[in-house]
Amino acid sequence: MGAFYCAICRQTSFSGKAHIFGKSHQSKLKVVLVKFLEKVKEARRTIKNPQVERFDCTQHKRKCWCYCCGLEVERDVTDGDITVLFGGLLEHMARPDHRKGTHTFWWENKADPKLRDKFIITENEMERFKTEVAKALGSFEDKEDGLIKQQATHIRAQEQHRQEVLQSLIEVCLPRMQQHSVSPNLNFGSSSHFRAPGSDEQARSGRVDQMVARQWAGPGQGLTFIGYQDSSNSGNVHTGAIPPWLQEDPNEGRSGTMEQAIGPSLQDFLKQKEQEKLKKLPPNRVGANFDHSSQTDANWLPSFGRVWNSGRRWQSRHQFREEEGQTNRQKRKRDQGAEGTKKPNHFMLSNGQGAGT
Amino acid sequence: MSLFLAKLSCKRDIDEVIKTVAEKVLVLRFGRDEDSVCLQLDEILSKTAHDLSNMASIYIVDVDSAPVYTRYFDISYIPSTVFFFNGQHMKVDYGSPDHTKFVGSFKTKQDFLDLIEVIYRGAMRGKMIVKSPIDPQNIPKYDLLYHGI
Repeated sequence: MGAFYCAICRQTSFSGKAHIFGKSHQSKLKVVLVKFLEKVKEARRTIKNPQVERFDCTQHKRKCWCYCCGLEVERDVTDGDITVLFGGLLEHMARPDHRKGTHTFWWENKADPKLRDKFIITENEMERFKTEVAKALGSFEDKEDGLIKQQATHIRAQEQHRQEVLQSLIEVCLPRMQQHSVSPNLNFGSSSHFRAPGSDEQARSGRVDQMVARQWAGPGQGLTFIGYQDSSNSGNVHTGAIPPWLQEDPNEGRSGTMEQAIGPSLQDFLKQKEQEKLKKLPPNRVGANFDHSSQTDANWLPSFGRVWNSGRRWQSRHQFREEEGQTNRQKRKRDQGAEGTKKPNHFMLSNGQGAGT
Repeated sequence: MSLFLAKLSCKRDIDEVIKTVAEKVLVLRFGRDEDSVCLQLDEILSKTAHDLSNMASIYIVDVDSAPVYTRYFDISYIPSTVFFFNGQHMKVDYGSPDHTKFVGSFKTKQDFLDLIEVIYRGAMRGKMIVKSPIDPQNIPKYDLLYHGI
C-alpha cells in the first residue's frame, strides 16, 4: 500500500488499486472516455473526407489531451499555409506507442474493452487517410488558383477603366485649357497624371467624391478668371516685393483730412509710463489699493491718541471728539462774543480728568 | 448681401484699413459684386461678420478699383480673400498651391469661422503662417498659373 495518484479521479488514494473497481472511479472513467470518444469520432469522419483549409492561426493548431498516453497532441497538421483538420490526432493514434498506451490504460483502469479499439487507428485506415488527403490538397489548390485568377481579372478591369477615364479627361479638357478657362476635372486629370501610380486609387475615389459633392454649387467650377496679372515691373507677393500699403504714395500728402500722427498723445504716454512703473511694485504692499481720487474732509486724521492713557481706544476717541466740539464751540463764541452773550462755561470742568482718565 | 459689409474703393482706403485695424484679423475680399461666387462668399461673410466682430474685421474690395493690389497679390481668380493681422499679411496653408490668399467661396459658414479662429490664434502666438482647419475636399480647386515657374 502506498500513495497512489489516480489521474482520472484526480485523487490520491491510499488503498492501492482497489478503488478502481469502485463506483466513483468507474463513473468518472466513463465520462472521460465519452468526451475523448467524441473527438476521436470526429477525427474518424475526416478519414474519408479530409478537410483541407487555408491556415487560420486563431482556429487551427489546437491541442488535444490523449488520456491513453498522458500527452498533449496537436489536433491539426499544418505547414503554415494549408491545414489538414484532425490530421495530428489521427497521426498520433496510428502510432504503435499510442497502441501500447491504450492497452495499458485499459488494463490499469479496468475500462470496457469493447471501446478500446475505437481509440486506435490501424495502418490501413492511415493509408486511406493519406490518399484522401492528397486528393483533397489537389482540389484545394485548384480552387485557390481559380480565386486568384478571378481577382487578377478584376484588378485588370479596374486599371483599364481608370486609364480610359484619364484619357477621356485629357482629350476633353486640353482644348478648354487653351482658352484659359478653369475646370476642376483638368486639375484632377493633370495632377493625378503626375502623382505616383500607387495613389491612383486616391485620384479615382477623389473624383467619385467630387461627383457626389457636385450638388454643392461647386465653386471650383465657376471661378471667374480675370486675366493674368502682369507684375513683372513691380513684383508681387510671391516675389517678395514691397507691399502697396508700405509704399510711399504721392497722393497722400495732399489730402490732410486724416490724422497723420499715429499713437497716443504725450500726456497719455507719460501716464502710461507711470502706470508701468507702478505695475512693477509688489501688489500686496500697503496702500496699493489707495484711491487717489477720493475726496477727504478736514477731520480725516485718525490720530487722536492720548499717549499715557490706559483704557480703551474708544474712550480716547470720545475725549478727542468732545474736545473738538469744545474748540469749535469756543470759536463760534468768539465770533459771537461781540454781541455780548455770556454763558457760564460748564464745559471747562471736564478737562480730561474723567473717571478712569 | 454685400450691402452690409463695408466697401473700400481706393488704394488709400485699403492702406488705411490695413494700418489701423489692430489686434483683429483683417479680411479683405477681392472680387466683383455681381459675380455669382462672390455673392455666395459675401453672404457667408456678412452673416458671420457680427459673430466675429471681436476677432475680425471684414471688408469688400472691388478688383477693378485697386489695380495695384490686384497685381501685388496676383489675383487671377475671383473671389480671393486675403488675411492680415496688425498690418502683417497672414499666409494659410489650405492644401492648395497658393498660400497667400483663399480663392473661391467657403462651403459652409462654419468653415469660415474655423479658419478665422485658427488665423487669430496663430497670430496671437506669433505665427505668420498657419494651417487651415478646413477639409481639403471643401477647398475650391483652381490652377495656379504662376509666371515664374
